Amino acid sequence: MVSGGNASSLPLVGGKPEPTIKELSSPGRRASNFPKLDVPEVKINHESLKKEKARLPEVSEHDLVMHYSRLAHRNFAVDLGFYPLGSCTMKYNPRFADSIASDSRFANIHPSMPEEFTQGCLKVMYEIGNYLCEITGMDYASFQPPAGASGELTGLLIIKKYLEINNLINKTEIIVPDSAHGTNPASARMAGFTVVEVETDARGMVNIEKLKEIVNENTAGLMLTNPNTGGLFEEEILTISQIIHNAGGLLYYDGANLNAIVGTSRPGDMGFDIVHSNLHKTFATPHGGGGPGSGPVAVKEFLKDYLPGPIAENKDRKYNWYQPENSIGRMHGYHGNFLVTLRALVYMKLLGKEGLDTLGAYAVLNARYLSSKVSKIIPLAYDEPCMHEFVTSVKDLKKSHKIKAYDVGKALLDKGFHSPTIYFPLIVPEALMFEPTETQSKETLDDLADSLKSIISDLQQEDIVLEDYPKNLPVGRPNELIPAKFLTVNWGDFELLEITE
Amino acid sequence: MFVPHSELDLKKMFDELSINSLDDLFTHIPDALLLENGLDLPESLSELESIDYFDDIAARNKSDLVCFAGGGHYDVYLPQTVKSLTMRPEFMTSYTPYQAEISQGILQVLFEFQSLVCDLTDMELANASLYDGATSIAEAISVAINKTKRDGVTISSGLNPNSKEVINTLIDKNKFNLNYVELDNYLFPSDYDFDESQAAFVVSYPHYEGSCQDLTELVTKAKDKGIVTICYVDPSMLGVLTTPGQMGFDIIVAEGQSLGSPLSFGGPTVGWFATKKEFARLVPGRLIGESRDKDNNKSYVMTLRAREQDIRREKASSNICTNQTLNAIGSAIHLSWLGPEGLYDMGYHSIQKANYMKKSLIKNGYVIPNDDSSLREFLLEVKTNSSEVINKMGDKGFLAGIYYDDQHVLVAVTEKRKKTEIDDYIEALQEIDNG
Repeated sequence: MVSGGNASSLPLVGGKPEPTIKELSSPGRRASNFPKLDVPEVKINHESLKKEKARLPEVSEHDLVMHYSRLAHRNFAVDLGFYPLGSCTMKYNPRFADSIASDSRFANIHPSMPEEFTQGCLKVMYEIGNYLCEITGMDYASFQPPAGASGELTGLLIIKKYLEINNLINKTEIIVPDSAHGTNPASARMAGFTVVEVETDARGMVNIEKLKEIVNENTAGLMLTNPNTGGLFEEEILTISQIIHNAGGLLYYDGANLNAIVGTSRPGDMGFDIVHSNLHKTFATPHGGGGPGSGPVAVKEFLKDYLPGPIAENKDRKYNWYQPENSIGRMHGYHGNFLVTLRALVYMKLLGKEGLDTLGAYAVLNARYLSSKVSKIIPLAYDEPCMHEFVTSVKDLKKSHKIKAYDVGKALLDKGFHSPTIYFPLIVPEALMFEPTETQSKETLDDLADSLKSIISDLQQEDIVLEDYPKNLPVGRPNELIPAKFLTVNWGDFELLEITE
Repeated sequence: MFVPHSELDLKKMFDELSINSLDDLFTHIPDALLLENGLDLPESLSELESIDYFDDIAARNKSDLVCFAGGGHYDVYLPQTVKSLTMRPEFMTSYTPYQAEISQGILQVLFEFQSLVCDLTDMELANASLYDGATSIAEAISVAINKTKRDGVTISSGLNPNSKEVINTLIDKNKFNLNYVELDNYLFPSDYDFDESQAAFVVSYPHYEGSCQDLTELVTKAKDKGIVTICYVDPSMLGVLTTPGQMGFDIIVAEGQSLGSPLSFGGPTVGWFATKKEFARLVPGRLIGESRDKDNNKSYVMTLRAREQDIRREKASSNICTNQTLNAIGSAIHLSWLGPEGLYDMGYHSIQKANYMKKSLIKNGYVIPNDDSSLREFLLEVKTNSSEVINKMGDKGFLAGIYYDDQHVLVAVTEKRKKTEIDDYIEALQEIDNG
């Protein structure tokens, strides 16, 4: 049985480069139209008004539609094929959630409307707070953070405020595993903490002995994802929690890998005090080519007064905004990425208890199955049962055939698959990290393993040039040095470069 | 739900793994951490049941009010073409374009977005989006602090109050002084003396209250003291307003909702960030560059990656990872749909309509304290309490504006508002005032 794939619209749209919208511009054309001015026109004098028109492209509506549709054809997506991108949870995004989020009764609500006028929006935020707290084992949630990194910063600012109010200002160190996402140390630094790294042991988990050595009276907290970035469940999490809490620190859960444990286990029960989750990963909202996301933060009861507000509450059958007493303040101009939050609630409602109870289990099943197949082709980084994702390493192939993780990823693109995440976690040399998610079928997983097998064999042939891969896409590997060196980040920059060179 | 496996599939997969059930996947997790009876949550709803469920929730919003509220988010006309193209599944359901060869679509649209933002504001380099207007201001202040190594920030009070709250959260007040400067008759005092200890001068254009002024001289004075000048601009007015680049600003940031995103209860929208090339290595967030592949095909790729958190970790220029790409795509497509004439019409019609409304209000005995300096948005002095007025206007079918203080409502008039809606608004207001 086959699963489809090899997504490409090339036969439809041809292989020629797509001009920019500026190159398609021709003076006098326009797509826009507005009603005639229906108020008496008067001369308005104001020092800020300019005489010239803005520098914008002039195109017809059909040209505009063809241009952006052709560009869409040059992009891979979850709707086109398998996206086994580790750490990113590229699962199917239900269309139905989009239809609710497009309902003008949600989409056209002005954010400054009084709460009496927006009871529906407040109900959405209140309800999803309850779902998220139950799923993560926490007590109170705020949907201010618009993305995961903002959620991390929120969590760290909560730790900071908690320490300040409790006169523990000597606690300035945040411990982060050497395998952590880059956002962890970046967020910790932004919140004014010093970052201390803890090593990963040979099994791929936090090295408990090293952790004990690092923890001291200055420890403010530990940031951890469980399963960790190696896709492994931190089996000693209760010990880790004890070590941190005994030192007076707090435990922060990076929700990037929450999909693995939904319905099986909860961060709150593991001892985490603060959790952020990425609704655009675990709860199936579309990634939008890199955003928008939504990164709500949930905390245990003793931290509820520090959450960023306003937060929706339900009192006397009416929904209100409340501002937590010692709030760290706003993380977003309004209410976070509300329509993303709404989509996540739709997803949770569709899945319900039955779907959410088994969500993590199916995600793990797919990953475990794929890892069983893939491990026969390239070795796993850790000889441990994986959760929702797993890490492999091609360091041996690099030694024997100069084949890098990068090359394997590029060759997979030709086969109609997105590349797995490469070079992450940083502690695994030549890492390829696969996360299949629960929405892919067995046949698709088999196809990926078969394709991987065939390209590993192809790449070892003597007469091939690794840099030629991918071969069947609109462009080959872009030269990454040119834009970095010459800052060709604006149209016209590159042409200018050609003239001066 | 959305799990494809049949009983037969499960059997084959279990066989491959030598297990008998899903529970067997978790034997390595300590028993104490396994949920015994699953989650305490309601049963699932079918899609059909969900329609009713969310219909009931949606109906609780007063969504049919004629909108005269602004403050950064404007009820402008968002054409169907822009909505349809932005919601193409190839844009919606893709990830960050790390693999350039299969992401040329997203990469090129983002490159066009960056270029359009630069052309519109007269800057040299724009990033591929930040979260929203408010967080973009805070990111710009961080750039200025990193650039100057100074610890004071001069901020105009004429900023959206929520933006001020976000700045207060994100800029560490233990390390940096935030000096808010009061407006004088709704304008930034033109005789303000800048101090050399300041890293940044942040000002909104137009001011939150809707007044607008030529900031060229203030920018020059601030730059003479080595201060980084930051303009928070309303981008949908740039069809008619002098650009921040023309006034000499170093950095512009914007709330981009009114170009390409519906009001969305405030999110997701998009933060714009553009600057001069000399600031390139301090810029937060993703940047797309134009390059060539080995066959000299034009190609786009993420660039200056060494600034970003996944490579630089704690030394990164910002922690931002997921941004607002889809809304940036919306901005690019909306700007292309508008063109120079459309953006002009959008701004010009709104100014004419706001002017008509202000003059009608004044004729009917109302006071507009910033009538002379305001354009699309202005303060309306009300005769009773402004929250009360907003609530009562709601009953009459209008979102009267935003509560400013007990005596004032902030009113915005977009190109979408009709003369009849303006006339009816004033009539409704008079009815309320006359009891």
